[in-house]
Amino acid sequence: MKSFLTRKNVVLLGGIVLLVVLLGVADATLNNYYLRILQLMGIYIVLTASLNLTNGFTGDFSLGHAAFMAIGGYVSALLTMPLAARALQLADLPAWFQEFAMPFPLATVLGGLLAALVALPVGLVVLRLRGHYLAVMTLGLLIVVKSLASNWEPVTRGARGLSGLDSATTLWWAFGWAVVTVFVVWRLVHSPFGRSMIAVRDDSVAAASRGIYVFQIRLIAFIMSAFFGGVGGALLAHQLTAITPPTYSFDLTFLIVIMLVIGGSGSVTGSVIGAIIMTIVPVILRDLERRFELPGVSQIIIAAALIAFMIFRRQGLMGSREMHPSTWFMKKPATPVSVDAPQQ
Amino acid sequence: MRNIQLLALGVSAAMLLAGCSAAAADDEIVVGAVYSITGSQASIDQPGYNGFKLAAKQINESGGINGKQIRVAFSDAASETTTLTNVVSELIENDGAVALGGTNDSTLALVAGPIAQAAGIPFVASGATLPTLPEQVGDSMFMACYGDDLQAEAIADYSTEELGAQTAWALVDQAYDFTTALNKFFQERFTASGGEIVLEDSYKSGDTDYSAQIARLQALKTQPDVLFVAAIPNEAGIITQQIRAAGLMQPIVSGDGYDTPLVAEVAGANSKDVYFSTHVSLESTDAVVQDFVTAYTEEYGTAPENAFAALGFDTMNLIADALKRATDDTDPAAVRDALASTQNLVAVTGTISFPEGSRKPSKAVTIMRIVDEVTTFVETIQP
Repeated sequence: MKSFLTRKNVVLLGGIVLLVVLLGVADATLNNYYLRILQLMGIYIVLTASLNLTNGFTGDFSLGHAAFMAIGGYVSALLTMPLAARALQLADLPAWFQEFAMPFPLATVLGGLLAALVALPVGLVVLRLRGHYLAVMTLGLLIVVKSLASNWEPVTRGARGLSGLDSATTLWWAFGWAVVTVFVVWRLVHSPFGRSMIAVRDDSVAAASRGIYVFQIRLIAFIMSAFFGGVGGALLAHQLTAITPPTYSFDLTFLIVIMLVIGGSGSVTGSVIGAIIMTIVPVILRDLERRFELPGVSQIIIAAALIAFMIFRRQGLMGSREMHPSTWFMKKPATPVSVDAPQQ
Repeated sequence: MRNIQLLALGVSAAMLLAGCSAAAADDEIVVGAVYSITGSQASIDQPGYNGFKLAAKQINESGGINGKQIRVAFSDAASETTTLTNVVSELIENDGAVALGGTNDSTLALVAGPIAQAAGIPFVASGATLPTLPEQVGDSMFMACYGDDLQAEAIADYSTEELGAQTAWALVDQAYDFTTALNKFFQERFTASGGEIVLEDSYKSGDTDYSAQIARLQALKTQPDVLFVAAIPNEAGIITQQIRAAGLMQPIVSGDGYDTPLVAEVAGANSKDVYFSTHVSLESTDAVVQDFVTAYTEEYGTAPENAFAALGFDTMNLIADALKRATDDTDPAAVRDALASTQNLVAVTGTISFPEGSRKPSKAVTIMRIVDEVTTFVETIQP
């Protein structure tokens, strides 16, 4: 029987212990502002790593991640909203709905599940397309969800949104979900299922002729991605303590796509790095904006940097390679696990 | 390959460290300004922030507060909730702001407020008029402007008393807290003083064609005396234009959503007989108003763009007044208590007092009239 204490597992456990210690130190020493930024980082890791399942590994370029985030966000917000805020904002809903407030962790999972449930019929339709057509269809999904949020007055309060939520997203929840997401995505990608995903991405005809159920693989990846998108949306809503339709805009979808592209779509660790960089860079740039009193300049800098990135390092920082902590301590260089970058 | 990994790791670590910055000094009081000078709020927040800075400058030039200078800490909130929450947290934690002021939007104020509330820092909303804002956020939340209840009641009273209206038609934008609240309070007051709402109709912000609503209005057997429109600035002009173009000439009455050059610009010659309530008339001959307009013009080379400049100015003065009276100007709780006991503070947008137990000022409402593209001051109504 194989021992549990393989080199890989030791590194994995060591990594988690190290992360817990670091987070504990951060939680004890940093002020609320830095904790807020760190929480945001955790949330972005959840979102980027999950988007990677469709955009990076299966090659289905989705622009609908913000739609699943909105679903997860609204569902969890409606479930956890404190009673006092309910009475003020949801007076039009049935009485039983005024009288309960669900714990945040459960609401987060339910938010993710509903996003996944919506992804099923949506996936059945939009995954009949590929490439640009799929991108446009998922963008359409975002528009549909946004209009629903803006117009379903009694439930979402339209453009006014829902506010007064508990600020339930802590450092531990944000990074806890980040670890779970990265772990699930990693295991999925490095399984026979993951091989199928990559095969579908690289040549779906060849994959089909080898007996891979192409549509099924793409659908499952889409649904998994939607689940974590919903979870990320729930975390974000409880970080901001409010949820309004404009938060889940194209800008947010693009931000997550940018994180993925910078880190390297097709690399799990790349998506984590991309999320970290794109959380911190805007904060530093905002700091510079303040110091030199040049509001708005950071957006121009980020845009210019992105263009430069696309010209000089199209495949992202990591390409489709992975960062293998377990190999850092070995003599021989690590061998690439994955194949070439997706052709997007 | 390994180099790239280490590089990526190094870059991430360096960025984490670079995030840290400096905090507050001793002989100054830090007041945070929460405004969005980029994005959708920019047209009202930039004047607001300018007014805020102007007030701080005047206070510092006349010796500061308790011998200390005021430093206005500011970072652009970009009209967007994620940035806004980061900014509010940064102003409190890193800059050590003892009080915050700003935001001209109720939805954004509902996002920013709870962070200040959790940290125990008083927050004065300068132009967010949602009447329930202080209750929804908590005892650290104050308003420098009046609530929509006050302005809706003022315009309802003006309709019944001065315009002699007994019947009214109401058109409401369903998309905003502001417009739905304005409508609710207008109808309550109008019917309480014996008036009758003959028809209520609605639309959603972004609509451009109001012919269906106007047709239903024209189909009424007897035409109402006034047309009440609860709109935000974007639609104020279009609605006015279409109502007048349909040949309906009754007075149009509304709230501060109509305090925008768009009414005259879009409706042109059709901008007739429109009455609206707002925070201040910058053409008022009142010395406080004129001093403000002169100082603002000198500082920024342009006259105050709208009433939000005056509200920003008043917000800073409201905080400064509380800092002067506070038992300890470094203790946010003491500043909060001093704010709550503000009485008869002379401000550009009217004298500000917080009634016992309320953090929403009772102050005068200004009624303005638009005739043939020209906006003129009509009167101020004391509550």
